[in-house]
Amino acid sequence: MMSLTRRDVLIAGSAGFAGVALLSPQSARANDEALDLVEQFTGRTATVSDRLHLIMPTYFPTGYTVPMSLYIDSPMTEADHVRQMRVFAPRNPLIEVASFHFVPQRSLPRVSTRIRLAKPQHVIAVAEMNDGNLLMTTTWVRVATDGCA
Amino acid sequence: MTTATPRVIVPSAAAKGEFFQVKTIISHEMETGLRHDDQGNVIPRKIINRFVCRYNQSVVFSVDLHEAISANPFFEFSLRATESGRLDFVWEEDGGAVYTLSHRLTVG
Repeated sequence: MMSLTRRDVLIAGSAGFAGVALLSPQSARANDEALDLVEQFTGRTATVSDRLHLIMPTYFPTGYTVPMSLYIDSPMTEADHVRQMRVFAPRNPLIEVASFHFVPQRSLPRVSTRIRLAKPQHVIAVAEMNDGNLLMTTTWVRVATDGCA
Repeated sequence: MTTATPRVIVPSAAAKGEFFQVKTIISHEMETGLRHDDQGNVIPRKIINRFVCRYNQSVVFSVDLHEAISANPFFEFSLRATESGRLDFVWEEDGGAVYTLSHRLTVG
């Protein structure tokens, strides 16, 4: 029969904490900062969503050309689609990266490109849906060299 | 500074209703306006600030670019094949210069 001692609980607890910290440094605080920044740029409050996917390497040697793919799960019908997806790099000297505009029935809500990052940071993506909702996600990227110098 | 030269990779034919992939690139410095020359003067900003793809005159995909898009801006995206016709690609540069390419697509 299994019984949990106080020591087991403490070990499990600290292991779990370490795991989360390794996965995404300061992720809760990062989300709050990202939500604040999105509100500054859009004047509206975004919701963190797992429908939106911002795919970037966690480490990239040069900040000049960091690969980025962005997509959202959306049927792209007239009634339910994404109007635009915006990308922000909060630790760059100029924060706005790009806005991508999609058309229901005509374009898939996905795009790939390459971007410049000045330093390690949480890159932010925001999707503006046709009903006006803003969905947000972030991804941590560490670059070794400043791509904006 | 090299001349901006656009290129696209698009299939010449696609099945009606299916999505096809588009790859576009334009050779361009994407000068951010943040750099200085040897004399310490700011090198003025000169970027491609907008990219538009039209399919038989309708805009089907577009991008507003800022300084953080890498030199030689590259985009990969997917469009639905609706009817045969023409795809037009337009890159707009600071100062008003425009670079264009067009492509015939047969939809069967």
